[in-house]
Amino acid sequence: MEEEHYQSIIEEIWPRLKKKHLYPEIPMPKVKETPAPEQAEAEEGVGLEMKQKQMTINGAFVSQMKGQMEEKRVVEALLDHGITHYTFCPWDFNTHLRLYSEAKKVVGDKELAKQVSNYFIDIIADTHCVKRRFTEIPELHRNLKKGTIQDVIASLYEKIWGMDLGIPRSKTSVKGHADIVRRLARIPYLDRSRWGESIQKFARSLKPLLIEEEKERGAKGGKGERNPQGDHDLNHYSNEEIDQGLRDYARQTMALSEFKDVVEDFSDELKGAGYGMEGGMGRGQGNLIDADILFYMKLAENYSIPLKKFPLEEKGSLHPHSHSPWEIGSPFQDVDIWTSFGKIMPGITQIWTKREGKGKGKMEGTPDCLIAIDSSGSMINPRKSLSYAVLGAACATNAYLQNGSKVAVYNFSDAPMGGKDVLNYTDRREDIYRVLCKYFGGGTALDLEDLMPLTRGRKNLDLFIITDMKITNLEALIGFFGQIRNRVTAVHIGDNPYAARFEKAVEKRKNISIYTVKRKEDIPHIVLGRIRDYFNPTQTKNS
Amino acid sequence: MKSPAPPKRSAFLPPAKESWGTRNPFEEFKTFTTPTSNFPLDQIVQSTEAVMDRIRSGYEKLLEEEAKELVWMVQYNTIIKAYEVAEKYVKEIDYTAEDIEDFCFALENTQKIPYLIPGPAGVYISALCNYAKEEEIALKLSELKTEINLIGFRLSKGKRLLIEGDTGDFTGIGLEGGELIVEGNAKNWTGAGMRGGKILVRKNIGLHTGEWMMGGEIYVGGRVRGLGNIVEGKVYERDKLVYPGKARYPNLYY
Repeated sequence: MEEEHYQSIIEEIWPRLKKKHLYPEIPMPKVKETPAPEQAEAEEGVGLEMKQKQMTINGAFVSQMKGQMEEKRVVEALLDHGITHYTFCPWDFNTHLRLYSEAKKVVGDKELAKQVSNYFIDIIADTHCVKRRFTEIPELHRNLKKGTIQDVIASLYEKIWGMDLGIPRSKTSVKGHADIVRRLARIPYLDRSRWGESIQKFARSLKPLLIEEEKERGAKGGKGERNPQGDHDLNHYSNEEIDQGLRDYARQTMALSEFKDVVEDFSDELKGAGYGMEGGMGRGQGNLIDADILFYMKLAENYSIPLKKFPLEEKGSLHPHSHSPWEIGSPFQDVDIWTSFGKIMPGITQIWTKREGKGKGKMEGTPDCLIAIDSSGSMINPRKSLSYAVLGAACATNAYLQNGSKVAVYNFSDAPMGGKDVLNYTDRREDIYRVLCKYFGGGTALDLEDLMPLTRGRKNLDLFIITDMKITNLEALIGFFGQIRNRVTAVHIGDNPYAARFEKAVEKRKNISIYTVKRKEDIPHIVLGRIRDYFNPTQTKNS
Repeated sequence: MKSPAPPKRSAFLPPAKESWGTRNPFEEFKTFTTPTSNFPLDQIVQSTEAVMDRIRSGYEKLLEEEAKELVWMVQYNTIIKAYEVAEKYVKEIDYTAEDIEDFCFALENTQKIPYLIPGPAGVYISALCNYAKEEEIALKLSELKTEINLIGFRLSKGKRLLIEGDTGDFTGIGLEGGELIVEGNAKNWTGAGMRGGKILVRKNIGLHTGEWMMGGEIYVGGRVRGLGNIVEGKVYERDKLVYPGKARYPNLYY
């Protein structure tokens, strides 16, 4: 009954709220079903839940507040707060991650960093709402039950909003707390471009209180107070938003260790969202998240390589070949109306018999690709820092897989001595990335015996090799490339005599394109750009 | 007689001709209003920024005058001269202890302040502390990556400066009766040339501690790595008097 009452309140105020917030794309909020009595006590303190874009009001919380504040105003304040999370802060998953990672740099602890980012996000949302909209949020804060940190935050609100929220003087004048409030009040919460440095300052100021509270919580047996305006976790975001957020975060940080830290900190939530390393597009249940692989996967998704299709020998296309008599029950679409004199009649009507074409068709396709990647000691360990070689290979992998082709990987260091990993042709992206990210760190020698089975019987096959060319048996590689007629893209890092020797040896081979990268950092850009030249020259000329 | 019913308008038909005129799609927002009052946060942020700009500009002028080549040698005369220049700029600014703390962090942000030269930066921060209105200043610098040198230079009587975090070389040099508390480690030459007052370092302290010290006390919660040539004054290591005393010799590495 109470649920229906609250739902009717929401339905009544929702059009006005939507207008107030300039029509955000958010569905009508719902009211939470009455929880079981054993859960009810725990959930009474939380007024709002947000899962993906669905906001849910906790009726028990509203009832609890009824004595101090009109129900409609409580609901409006909660929804104002919730909507502002979608329209201003954190806005998207990438921002949430960035705020968290900046906070963690200061507090050093995962749980504390999550708390800091939650408080920070709430302060920004409420402050934005109070400044830009007519809202009941101040009234809600005046009536909320508060712990130590909430008291400090409410004092901060009094200072930065210029409103009396009824915090007793005995609380505002506590020396340590007054210092903290003074420091917190100097932060430009509404300046989005400065949120990174702002949250660091926020964390520095709030850290002593958080540590104190954590100790108290430990003494109470780990039971802390819940945020009445709802907690901020990955439930806020849809899978697509999480995908996009990880992609943006990888691109913006370009730092493997930072990405890894954050992914490991959120591993439980990410697993809950379906991020394991098995299954399509990096999602699937049941496995540990390999943060390194996820980093290259998400970073590579930021780049796309147009891949020029290759005229393949087509056997599958059908063309009209000869006539045969039509019989009752046969399909009409193959009827040749000219030789049937416009009549549908057994014995007169004729249909076309189709046959497969032979020879080179006009149809284009994308060949499979064999990626050979050097993981010797002279290359960067992709699990320690960002390896542009792996990133380049990952981008090439994506280009082939997106075109429906398969990719094989030959990861080599000192191959004859066992320093190698071979992956047969597959379209499983996770498997390919796992082999690309493997690092041997030894000498550099290819074993052609390993490559032969991967190229044998495949007339249409592209080869992509990325190495510094300091290969002990470079002559053997040159000899191998001299024999094959497949398209070969060779990327080598830096100028060295081995690279010069290789370039000179294959300069007359039109099927081999060599790309020199003077600085390792240039690989993702230059390789991608020049691959475009190679695979799609017309497009580059036009652009 | 039954009058003919007006034809029903289909939902799919265009609207009546009279409503075809150009209609502002934002008409609905004509009545949309937002709070317009001056928001206190904006004022606080603006004034904070203005003060920070002045502090920053003073530091840049100090660098222009004292470290033209971006090289600054720590010598008695250069420190005195730099301090005099810093005093000149600092006196004109109205700031709080929080502004000093913000400035310390801004020094690490190359977008805001292009050059962090530890010597002049320390002298400038010391001048800021000495001319601050507050008698007690707490700087929370534990998250600062750089250890600031020369902090607490000439801290005068009646002033109490508390630093959370570690400090660099020449901490509290020339102390003039103030109280300097470092809630961390301090490096070499701490308390050099101090004339009076108290330096308390909670953790360890480096070499040449109290070099040319003329008076006052240095308390170290951890280990003293080496004492300097002390003229007068007292040095305590974990509550034990190590100078004057027989146990320690100048610059003895232990």
